[in-house]
Amino acid sequence: MTAPLLELRDLRKHFPLRDAIGRRRGAVRAVDGVSLAVPRGTVLAIVGESGCGKSTLGRLALRLIEPDAGSVLFEGEDLRALSPAALRARRRDMQLIFQDPFASLDPRMTVGAAIAEPLRLHRITPRAGEAARVAELLERVGLRPEAARRWPHEFSGGQRQRIAIARALASGPRLVIGDEPVSALDVSVQAQVVNLLADLIRDLGLTFVLISHDLGVVRHIADRVAVMYLGSLVEEGPADALFAAPRHPYTRALLAAVPGRGIKAPPIEGDVPSPIAPPAGCRFHTRCPHAEAICRTEPPALTGGAHLAACHLQDRLPPAPPLREAEPGGDRLRRLQSFFQPAGSDA
Amino acid sequence: MVLELRDLAITFRTDRGPLRAVDGVSLAVEAGRTLAIVGESGCGKSVTALATMGLLPPNARLSGSIRLRGREMATLAQPEWRRRRGREIAMIFQEPMTSLNPAFTAGEQVAEVLRLHERLGERAAFDRAVALLDRVRIPDAARRARQYPHQLSGGMRQRVMIAMALACRPRLLIADEPTTALDVTVQAQILALLDELKRETGTAVVLITHDLGVVADHADDVVVMYAGRVAERAPAARLFARPEHPYTVGLLGAAPRIEGGPTRLASIEGTVPDLLHPPEGCRFAPRCPFRGADCTRQPPLSEVEPGHATACWRAPLDRVLAA
Repeated sequence: MTAPLLELRDLRKHFPLRDAIGRRRGAVRAVDGVSLAVPRGTVLAIVGESGCGKSTLGRLALRLIEPDAGSVLFEGEDLRALSPAALRARRRDMQLIFQDPFASLDPRMTVGAAIAEPLRLHRITPRAGEAARVAELLERVGLRPEAARRWPHEFSGGQRQRIAIARALASGPRLVIGDEPVSALDVSVQAQVVNLLADLIRDLGLTFVLISHDLGVVRHIADRVAVMYLGSLVEEGPADALFAAPRHPYTRALLAAVPGRGIKAPPIEGDVPSPIAPPAGCRFHTRCPHAEAICRTEPPALTGGAHLAACHLQDRLPPAPPLREAEPGGDRLRRLQSFFQPAGSDA
Repeated sequence: MVLELRDLAITFRTDRGPLRAVDGVSLAVEAGRTLAIVGESGCGKSVTALATMGLLPPNARLSGSIRLRGREMATLAQPEWRRRRGREIAMIFQEPMTSLNPAFTAGEQVAEVLRLHERLGERAAFDRAVALLDRVRIPDAARRARQYPHQLSGGMRQRVMIAMALACRPRLLIADEPTTALDVTVQAQILALLDELKRETGTAVVLITHDLGVVADHADDVVVMYAGRVAERAPAARLFARPEHPYTVGLLGAAPRIEGGPTRLASIEGTVPDLLHPPEGCRFAPRCPFRGADCTRQPPLSEVEPGHATACWRAPLDRVLAA
């Protein structure tokens, strides 16, 4: 196996809390010792509910914020060891796509200028070739080249997210991190953008980190999945194995809570505890239906080969509810849906 | 019938001309049942709910009929409507933080509703409020009742909203995307709570959502809306077993599912029409793979099986597959 493109080693980030006169009063333990590796050309999804630390982890991976401890290796090189100039040069290899395309595009810049900005910043394309490169990027994301002369407000949410993707691709990055890139979109538009991302990942050989709370979206594009709870990884493994046979009770609860599976009883009760004072032992024990004495005192280690879980009881849990094989609409619905593929797409 | 809408149309006066947000919607909800209204942004599902509540803004004009337990509401002036509606309809919204008053505790806000509707004294109202908070499964309700909205989690705030709705003992509960802002494990808890309260109180529920998975697990009947009109109306089980509108077919295929595997999603090309300049005839036609020359005329909503109606000239869609 080749060296991973991105490797996170024991990353930690606590955000200090201060009272009204500036004295330290504890800290939000956003990321608390996370290690992950992303092989070249693969898609890793980081999933979890709000406050689990997934977005903080994404920003640490790009060194947009500084970790308290741990290291980030890009092609084996520690990003924290780079000089500011060397880090700036590295930035063309790593890009971020945000959830809200309304906030991530400058309203005073034409679409063409927004996409050309990274080309100029990193001196990638000579000025003479810039317009052609912008046109090529727009077509790549399914927009017409004429869009370059227009302004962000003239576009719908889905089109703006396509523009944000074109801008992220402009510098020819090898790693793209998408932080909830399709969460703000309506279902029909979301499907278009999910399909586009899948095409781009395949055609450009991108390494992609998808940060998402939507397990359906994750299922459609991820090769591997990492599940976070209160700043720690609870499970990580190949997507097929993790969806078919989740090994951590929290992963099982997340999957059982996805609407549309015919499971009407809520899988777990209560809210996520505060990341300021996470529970001792296994952080999930306060909500876990299987918890035993050891879970309240001993933090479980992440164990297993290619499919890891941090649970003392992982080998003794009852089987998880099976995924439903067939959709109620069956073959008739599948045949009708086959008409909903754009002409020229290689489905 | 608890609620019956017939040929409801709502037009907003805007700077750019009249905008018809809802165009000829008919639906009905019985006691003890959940009707889901499903559709994407701008389809008219929330405006339909606001109209039912008598909460339309002044620039809206309404026609058609809104019958609440047989009484016509649409002809009343809005203040009169709100007074008559009284305790009969309650509504919960997507973001409870904006509907709760940040200056009062959770218990005070529930108690306020009880004092208005049940004419209870201050002390009795607060005690009943605590009991209601306990009923919606807020742990340690007596302590939480003395906390302010910002001290509660999103899930707990939504439970407070549900307790306020229950305090009115409504015949109809309208829930507009009640779990969209919540995490998935908390969403499951809130939807199960709404199911349980419907069973116990026999209230009718209108559940407005964009999520077909929520519809599958929690609705008895479904109305699919597109660009202000009803595309399809069916018992929930029939909608999933045999969708008869091309938009429903596309929507079912576009929603990413955890059972799906790494497959391609169905793609409904293009975007929803501009309601200031809607297309002639069927509004879905410009995006429909089955469109033909006849689609420039508006298709009526007609039954394909008992209780299951669709507005499509191609229905039943098996003909498309046979062709």
